Amino acid sequence: MEKKIAVYICTGCGIGDALDVDALSNVALKEYKADICKTDAFLCGKDGVAVIKNDIENEGVNTVVVAGCSSRVNADVFNFGPNVIVERANLREQVIWCHPADDEDTQMLAEDYIRMALVKQKNMNLPEPYQVENLSKTIMVVGGGFTGLTAALESAKAGYRTVLVEKEDKLGGYVGKMYKQVPLKPPFTDLEENCIPGLVKAVEEAGVKVYTSATIAKTAGGPGMFDVTINQNGGTVEERVGAIVLATGARPYDASKLAHLGFGQYENVITQSAFEEMVAAGNMEAGKVAFIQCAGSRDQEHLPYCSAACCVESIKQALYVKEKNPEANVYVYYKDIRSNGQYEHFYKKAQQAGVIFIKGDVTAITESDGQLAIEADDKTMGTTSEADEFDLVVLANGMVPTAAFGEMIEEEAEEEAAAAADEPKVVGPTIIKSNMLNLEYRQGPELPELKYGFPDSHYICFPYETRRTGIYAAGVVRAPMDMLSAMEDAAGAALKAVQCVEATAKGEAVHPRSGDMSFPEFNMNRCTQCKRCTEECPFGAINEDEKANPLPNPTRCRRCGTCMGACPERIISFKNYSVPMIGNMVKAIEVPEELDEKPRILVFACENDAMPALDMAGINRLQYNPWVRIIPVRCLGSLNLVWINDAMAKGFDGVLLMGCKHGDDYQCHFMKGSELAEIRLSKISETLNRLGLESERVRATTVNIMDYDKIPAMLDEFAEELEELGPNPMKDFQ
Amino acid sequence: MEQNNKPVKYDLTFAREIYSLENGSYIKQCMQCGMCAISCATREIMDYSPRQLFNLIKLGKKDEVLQANTMWHCTSCCTCKARCPRGVPLVDVMHDLKKYAIENGYADYPQAAFYKAFWSEVAGRGKVFEGGVTGRYYLIRGLDEVKKAMDMKDVGINMLKHGRLPLLPPKKVKGMGNLKKIIRKAQELQRKEAR
Amino acid sequence: MKYSFYPGCSMEATAQANLKSIEAVASALDIQLEEIPDWNCCGATVVSGVVGDFIQQVMTGRNLAIAEPKGQDVVVGCSSCYLSLAVTNKRFKEDEHFRALANQALAEGGLKYDGTLRVRQFLEVVINDVGFDKVARRVKRPLKGLKVAGYVGCQTVRAIPYEFDDPEYPVLMDRLMEALGATATEFPMKARCCGSSQTIPATDIVIDCARKIFDSAAAGGAQVIVTPCPMCQLNLDAYQQRVNQLHGTSFNMPVLFFTQLMAIAFDLAPDAQALKYNIVSPYEALATYGASK
Ligand code: SF4
Ligand code: SF4
Ligand code: SF4
Repeated sequence: MEKKIAVYICTGCGIGDALDVDALSNVALKEYKADICKTDAFLCGKDGVAVIKNDIENEGVNTVVVAGCSSRVNADVFNFGPNVIVERANLREQVIWCHPADDEDTQMLAEDYIRMALVKQKNMNLPEPYQVENLSKTIMVVGGGFTGLTAALESAKAGYRTVLVEKEDKLGGYVGKMYKQVPLKPPFTDLEENCIPGLVKAVEEAGVKVYTSATIAKTAGGPGMFDVTINQNGGTVEERVGAIVLATGARPYDASKLAHLGFGQYENVITQSAFEEMVAAGNMEAGKVAFIQCAGSRDQEHLPYCSAACCVESIKQALYVKEKNPEANVYVYYKDIRSNGQYEHFYKKAQQAGVIFIKGDVTAITESDGQLAIEADDKTMGTTSEADEFDLVVLANGMVPTAAFGEMIEEEAEEEAAAAADEPKVVGPTIIKSNMLNLEYRQGPELPELKYGFPDSHYICFPYETRRTGIYAAGVVRAPMDMLSAMEDAAGAALKAVQCVEATAKGEAVHPRSGDMSFPEFNMNRCTQCKRCTEECPFGAINEDEKANPLPNPTRCRRCGTCMGACPERIISFKNYSVPMIGNMVKAIEVPEELDEKPRILVFACENDAMPALDMAGINRLQYNPWVRIIPVRCLGSLNLVWINDAMAKGFDGVLLMGCKHGDDYQCHFMKGSELAEIRLSKISETLNRLGLESERVRATTVNIMDYDKIPAMLDEFAEELEELGPNPMKDFQ
Repeated sequence: MEQNNKPVKYDLTFAREIYSLENGSYIKQCMQCGMCAISCATREIMDYSPRQLFNLIKLGKKDEVLQANTMWHCTSCCTCKARCPRGVPLVDVMHDLKKYAIENGYADYPQAAFYKAFWSEVAGRGKVFEGGVTGRYYLIRGLDEVKKAMDMKDVGINMLKHGRLPLLPPKKVKGMGNLKKIIRKAQELQRKEAR
Repeated sequence: MKYSFYPGCSMEATAQANLKSIEAVASALDIQLEEIPDWNCCGATVVSGVVGDFIQQVMTGRNLAIAEPKGQDVVVGCSSCYLSLAVTNKRFKEDEHFRALANQALAEGGLKYDGTLRVRQFLEVVINDVGFDKVARRVKRPLKGLKVAGYVGCQTVRAIPYEFDDPEYPVLMDRLMEALGATATEFPMKARCCGSSQTIPATDIVIDCARKIFDSAAAGGAQVIVTPCPMCQLNLDAYQQRVNQLHGTSFNMPVLFFTQLMAIAFDLAPDAQALKYNIVSPYEALATYGASK
């Protein structure tokens, strides 16, 4: 495409008063030979936009640079359809709002941003959306319990062909066997009849294709084109589906490990599910019952986490006893009652019914004449306590996700190259062979675990999203939860699946780069089969052939650019994001000579958190160091080390990477991007030192979106430290 | 509280009795959060905070509960009642506990005497008269208390001087006869309800 | 504006200043208060503790039953009476079983209450039915420069929480003081308990509570304290000297009913201001505003 470039400089919002706009126009027209450069006092207004539209229609402009506000605002105003490239130079939030007006340094900064924007659009092309042949919009739900049935029903009701796979011969799962269920509707105080029969009927009526006694032998492909092989009754069936909801549930924690609570020792110490069966069968005669909460849960020796449903379930079971005999004595021993959200009403109801709740640790359970006695530390009384003559003791024995059962996949033996170079190694995610999806993915056959075997990703920012695009976990396989949350999860995951097939059909990325139509392209003839991209892709998007050639799956891709940053041969690029593009932006920045005493600091800032934080610093009119030049990156994981070379060679005095927090409570939108960038940095520090460049000149920091107020100090401190190091010795080799 | 090592045994008999009082069943829904304790104006001089008292009830500690000064120190400021996340009307519960303590012969606190004196005034006259309440109060409490009162006599004299302590009682309620009938009937109904 | 009026026992004894100033302010604002004929004691916060809520509420209900035929809102001038009447009224409205039983008892006196009335406080009526603007227009001698700590106390805002102001940090009485031209001071303890009826059986409690309240008012720079509650007024006024003796403090802070201050700002007669009942003398603090003996 022949580019016809037009630059529009907005002089509104104080830009015109603070900057020499003619000089900016000169940069565009004279230095960069833009075809058109116009200024407007109110570019985002109706007239301003009309000017641009007119040039597009009548002058053949197809590449637009808007120099004004941040790209984070007015995106819709400056959207001129799929055939026009739009690039924004942020003169407002990152120039005039955080630097003094009428100032030489501020002007230089603004001019550099114009240069960078022009170079950037020169180096990019319109993305061409990836189209799947034989695309399927079918949603497959794995697991026919409460969550799975609900998800299947939601998806079918939304108008999508839905397939449900259940390993048992009957739908219903764990909840299906219950006597009654916890309330799912207001006022959240009453036992409800089991909803499973109704749900099964609704699912059948909604036309969901149900496979019972079925397991998944293989899942190949990716979103929009998963090819699933289902084993059923000795035969196999193939289904092509667009997205998958994993709702395989959990299993009760193995009570045989709870001998300290009398399980296995006394016949009348039973598990929650055994009690459920007993009541359902009408065999529950006990007049004095104790429930022991956190039996195994919240216990470093057993399950370190809270199983989240057992409190509410015990409250329900306590009410069974009271329902049968209001005079019965029912005690619940607990650490904390975690009846989340609406279930607080249910808890209160049980108290009103006369269930006695005791906050305390059970210290001993003994038996005489078939009756049980419990000793405990009563925490609210600060005393030891005892109670006896119990007919039954029920252990609330918590849950383990079905995804946690199976052999853990060990990291492959180190490749010689990496081992020999003694380089820090990226540790891949843990995958447990739970035999549920049997994915044909290079990184392993199941979903990576987040913690304790739960295949979640970022549980706050991206609920239901696993680390495999198009596969969404819901219910207790994702995280421990009660029924109300599971119901919400089912609907949420089903809608995510719907979003995914729709986005895939358009060739667009899903969250967090929703709408992005670019995808990585591989220049295969220079590939050295180093496997870096196939290992580091956080979403397992890239498979490998036998010769270790990468086989990209564009529909699995989230467009983070991690592979592009990883590739030592720099053969991976996107239509609108590439190693040369950023490299050329670095080179376009004017670095004054040493004598001018105007140092330059390059900042690579993550678009997800650091960029908004920088904008917010501007919005709050916080002033910061004028030597700074900021380049946004999709994720720090896309950082290619050659950019550091470029910056050093160009004479920059320092480079700062601003990315998201990593580690256990990571905030990186692509799991490990900032961590990967730091690992990569550590690899070049030695090289820098060898070149006589202090490795302290290049460093990484983490910025949370709320850290905007710390940004000025962050930049000033770095500038001071650079000052101590003195100017970059490469400056004079320019 | 219970510092010896002997474990206490839960006994629900007493709890059930208290739960059956007019506002007693609300105690069941206490979740031991402690909001009442930190809200209470007189918590520091209470034997047990309301929260602890409710817990003792659950444990079946009848003597501890009924001998406690907790309900008697309650000033009905309603702070806990307004704040309790479980909607326990603590002030009303305290009324029940006071009544129950008096009825069961646990009425050693000066407040109990004051309460009784106040009630006698109301029952006899339909209105209260501070002079009357105080007089009856000292009759119940005995002479020791009068000595203590003498310490306060400057306060009383000051009030007299400013016309705040009329020496003559107000007129009785005219319909006193009817009021008494109403009260008697109410007492009868109350007894029936309790059963 | 016509209302039924329930004065309560204290108005005839310790809180005559309350009654006098309420009546005068009411007539200055065209509020007509018609005393409920032959009313009886509401039982305060005490009677329930001897005979139980039911009997106290039946007794209190007698007053509402007498007032009901007129259909007018019942205005109460005492916080403690308000607690009894408002809670009783709520119970009559919301608890059918209770209403039936209570009416059985009331029938013995030829009475019946259907729960149709609204029970309100004089303070709330001034604020909501009269309004700050009208109050401000009625002011003759603005209390410019007078620093007032608005001590709302407990039951005014917590008898029925959120019914008319924030139960944790009420502000409306402060706004009323501002309408009079005064400055409402910062006063964190404005809704803390004064010890209430513990005055007689456990004076220490009152002394202790009062001390904290004075500290807080003084820290905010207040010259006087105002309150709508007779019990608070009595405790803070009568025991102030005692607090000073026991704690070595030297508080000299007049404690007035808010209606007394209104009477001063409205330039009503000395009898309406009723300052002679105040134990801590208010004359110096209020000399420049026309406080009169
Ligand atoms: S839900 Fe309750 S019983 Fe279950 S682990 Fe959590 S706190 Fe313990
Ligand atoms: S861009 Fe990100 S998600 Fe896509 S293939 Fe590369 S590393 Fe994987
Ligand atoms: S505030 Fe209410 S729930 Fe909390 S401890 Fe007190 S009475 Fe119990």
